Amino acid sequence: MGGLKDVLYFMFHPNQLRAIIQWKVWHEPVHQRDPSKEAPTLQSCFKFLNMTSRSFSAVIQELNHEMLVPIALFYLVLRGLDTIEDDMTISASVKEPMLRDFYKIIKKDGWTFDGNGPDEKDRELLVHFDDIITEMKKLKENYFTIIEDITKKMGNGMADYAINAEFQSGVVTVAEYEEYCHYVAGLVGEGLTRLFVEGGYANPALLQRMELTESMGQFLQKVNIIRDVHEDFEDSRRFWPKDIWSKYVDKWEDLFDPKYRTQAVHCSSEMVLNALKHADECLFYMAGIKEQSVFNFVAIPQTMAIATIDLVFQNPKIFHSHIKITKGDACHLMTQSTQNLSLVCEVFRKYTRRIAQKNDPRDPHYLEISMALGKIEQFIETLFPSQNVKHVKALHAEKSEESSSGEMWESLMLVMAVLFFLLLVSALMLGAAWAMGARWDTILSSGPSSIEEAAKITAKITHGEL
Amino acid sequence: MAPVEKPLLGRVLVIGGCGFLGHHVVNLLLRDWDCKVSVIDLKCQRNRRPASDGVEYVEADITDSDSLLEVFGRLKPDVVVHTASPPAQGAGAVSNEIFYKVNVEGTRTVVAACHKNDVKALVYTSSASVISDNKSDLINANEEYPVIRGKLQSEYYSETKAHAEQLVLEANRAQNSDLLTTAIRPSGIFGEGDMQLVYHAIGVLRGGNDKVQVGLNTNMFDFTYVENVAHAHLLAARALLVTHASKTQPLDHEKVDGEAFLVSNGSPVYFWDMMRSIWREAGSQRGTDHAWVMSRDVGLILGYLSECFAGLLRRQPTLTRQRIIYSTMTRYYDIAKARRRLGYEPLVSLNDGVKRTVEWTLEQEKSVKS
Repeated sequence: MGGLKDVLYFMFHPNQLRAIIQWKVWHEPVHQRDPSKEAPTLQSCFKFLNMTSRSFSAVIQELNHEMLVPIALFYLVLRGLDTIEDDMTISASVKEPMLRDFYKIIKKDGWTFDGNGPDEKDRELLVHFDDIITEMKKLKENYFTIIEDITKKMGNGMADYAINAEFQSGVVTVAEYEEYCHYVAGLVGEGLTRLFVEGGYANPALLQRMELTESMGQFLQKVNIIRDVHEDFEDSRRFWPKDIWSKYVDKWEDLFDPKYRTQAVHCSSEMVLNALKHADECLFYMAGIKEQSVFNFVAIPQTMAIATIDLVFQNPKIFHSHIKITKGDACHLMTQSTQNLSLVCEVFRKYTRRIAQKNDPRDPHYLEISMALGKIEQFIETLFPSQNVKHVKALHAEKSEESSSGEMWESLMLVMAVLFFLLLVSALMLGAAWAMGARWDTILSSGPSSIEEAAKITAKITHGEL
Repeated sequence: MAPVEKPLLGRVLVIGGCGFLGHHVVNLLLRDWDCKVSVIDLKCQRNRRPASDGVEYVEADITDSDSLLEVFGRLKPDVVVHTASPPAQGAGAVSNEIFYKVNVEGTRTVVAACHKNDVKALVYTSSASVISDNKSDLINANEEYPVIRGKLQSEYYSETKAHAEQLVLEANRAQNSDLLTTAIRPSGIFGEGDMQLVYHAIGVLRGGNDKVQVGLNTNMFDFTYVENVAHAHLLAARALLVTHASKTQPLDHEKVDGEAFLVSNGSPVYFWDMMRSIWREAGSQRGTDHAWVMSRDVGLILGYLSECFAGLLRRQPTLTRQRIIYSTMTRYYDIAKARRRLGYEPLVSLNDGVKRTVEWTLEQEKSVKS
C-alpha cells in the first residue's frame, strides 16, 4: 500500500522525486568513516548513534576524521543524559543526583545503567554505556574537557527542572522558555563551537560572540517546539510559555480545540515571531565555519528549520496532527546546504519570502513578522550585497557624462535628421519631376544660353528714365 | 532611583519648530535634554508648546536675511536644528519655485546667520531621497552612494534638498569660522502631525482602493517614525558640540561634522505590508485574499492614462506612474554609520510608530467630522 501511495505521490510531484534522486545519486560525502579501522567499542558507539538518532547520525558520520569521534561521543553522552531525564519511571530522588553527577559517570570505567523503564526507547544505550566511556577515555584531553564541562552544566540544568514542580506544569515567562532552550540546545551549541574552534575548523572569534552560538541552538529548539506542539500536548508536555498562549486562550487545552483555531494560529504566529529573531545570527555564525564537512553539519539543521517555519506558519494543522517537511524538500535542502554560505543564504531568502506571502494583516503580529523577515533579508544583503557601491558609482559617473555630453549629441542628431529629411524630400520631388517627363537636358544645356538671351533682351530695353 | 541626568545641549534654536518634524524635535528636547529651546517658524500658532514649557516662539521668514540675522543676534543659539522645508509632495512650477526659495535660498541664509553669530553646531534635515533617482532600486544603500543631482534627479524637491545639504556641509569648518555642520537624511518619515504617508494610506482605504496590490510585494522600503528622526538630529547636535569643545579633530571614522547620515527605523519592510498594517490599525478586517495583484507594467499603463485624463481635466491625477514606481521599487538603507558615529538606535519601533500615527490620524478624522 505504502509503495503504491508513494508512486502516486511522486507521479504528481516529480520535483520531489527529482530532489531525492539528486541527493542520493549526486551527494558525495566530504569524508566517510572507515569501520575496518575502528575498535569494536567505537563500532558499538556508531551502532548506538544510528539507533538513537535518525537525522543527526548521517551528518555526524560525514564529519572530518578529527571531529567525527568527539562529536559522535558528545552526542551519545547528551543522549544518555536525556534518556535519564525523559524517563518518568525513575523517581526524582534517583534522577536528580544522577543528572548532576553524570559528568563524573563519563569517567567511570565499566559504568552501566539498567534502571530505565522497559518502554524507554533508548534504554539500550545506557545498558551498554561502558563502550561509550571506553571511547571517551581515548579522546584528546582538550576535547574531553569540553564535553565534560557541557555535561556538567546540562546535567545541573536538567536536575533543576526535574525537581522544580512549577516547571512540570509548563514554563510561564518567555525568559523561562528561552532559558529552557538554552539548557537543551544552547549548551549543545556551546560545546560544538568550542570543539570546532579547538580543532581549528571555526573562527576563534565565535568564542567572543557566544550569542551567535546561542542563537543557533535557540532557533532549532524553538522551531521544533512549535512544530511538535500537538505531539507534546498528547504526551502532556508543554513548552510554549504561558505568557504567550494566555493572550489568546484561557486554558492550554483550548489551543487544540477547533473552536479556537483562529486564536491558536495567532498564538503560533507569536511563537514564530519569537523564533525568527534568531535567524540572522544563525547566518552570521555559519560565516565563521572554515571547513566543508563542519559547514554541512551546522547548515543542514538550519535550512531545515527555516523551511519548517514556512511549513508551520499560519498553518492550523500543527494543532491536530504531526507535520513534517516532505522527504523531497528535505533532500533538496540538504543538497543546497552542503555547498556554501551564499547558497544557504539564498535558501533563507527564498523561505523568508514564502513566509512573507503567508503573512496575514489580520494577525496581531503582522507588521512585526514583516520586520523580522526584513531584518533577515537585510542581513543577507550585508553578507552578500546584490548592489555594489563601486558599480553604482561607476554607473552614476557614466550617466552624468552622458547627460552633459548628451546635449551636444542630441542637437547633432537633430541637425542630421533635418538634413536627411531635406535630402529625402528633394530627391522625391526631383524623382517625381523626372517621372512626369521633366527635360533636364534642356534645363542644363540651355542654362547659359538662356542667360545670354536674357542679356540680349534686356539690352534692347532703353532706359529712358535712368 | 535618582533621575538620570539629561545631557546638555545649551541654547537650541529649532527652525521650522512648529512644523511636522520640528515640533517633534522640540518635544524631544524638552523631554530628553537639558537645554533652552527657541523656535523660528513662519507661523507659530500650530504645534505650539504651552507657555509653562518656556519655549520662545519667534515668527520669521528664513528667506528674509535681515530679520533672520536680527533674531539670531537676539537668541544667540549654540545649536541650530534646521528642519524647515515645504512638504515634498506637490508638483508644478509654483511649488518648484517655493522648493528652491525655501530649501536652497533659505538654507543659504541660515548658514550665513550661523556664521555671523558664532553658532557652534548646525544640524540640517536633508532627505534619503537625495541618493535616489526615483526609479533604480536602492538595496541596503549607504552614504557612499552618489548624490543624484541635476538632470538625473527627476524630483525637483530632492534636487533642492541635495543642493541645500551641499551648502550646509560645505559650511563645516569653513574659513574664519568654527561652525560645525552635519546633515540627517531620513527615509519615509511618518508620525503624528504627518499629512503624507499615513494620511494618504488611510485615504486609499476609505476610497476602497485597498483591493489592489501593484507588484509582487517583495520590494522592501524604509520608513522612519518621526520621533526617531528627531532623536538622530539631537544626537548629531550633541556630537558636534563634543567635537567643538575638543582641541583635536576627530578621526575620520568617528567624524560627525561635515558628514551626512542616513536614518531610518532600521526595519525595512515589504512595501504593501506597511500599507496593510496601516489599514489594519485603521480598522480594516481584511486579509490578503481579496487583493488583486496588478503587475507593475499594467500599473504603469494605468498611471499614464490617469495622468493624461487628469491633464485633460486640468486636475491633479490620483494615480501616477511615479506612484506605481514607488510602490514597486526597493529602497532601503544601511544605517550603520548613524549607529556607529551618532550612537543612534530607534527609540520607537516601526510597529509602535504605526499604531501611534494611525490613532492620531483617526482622531483628526473624527474632529474634522464633528
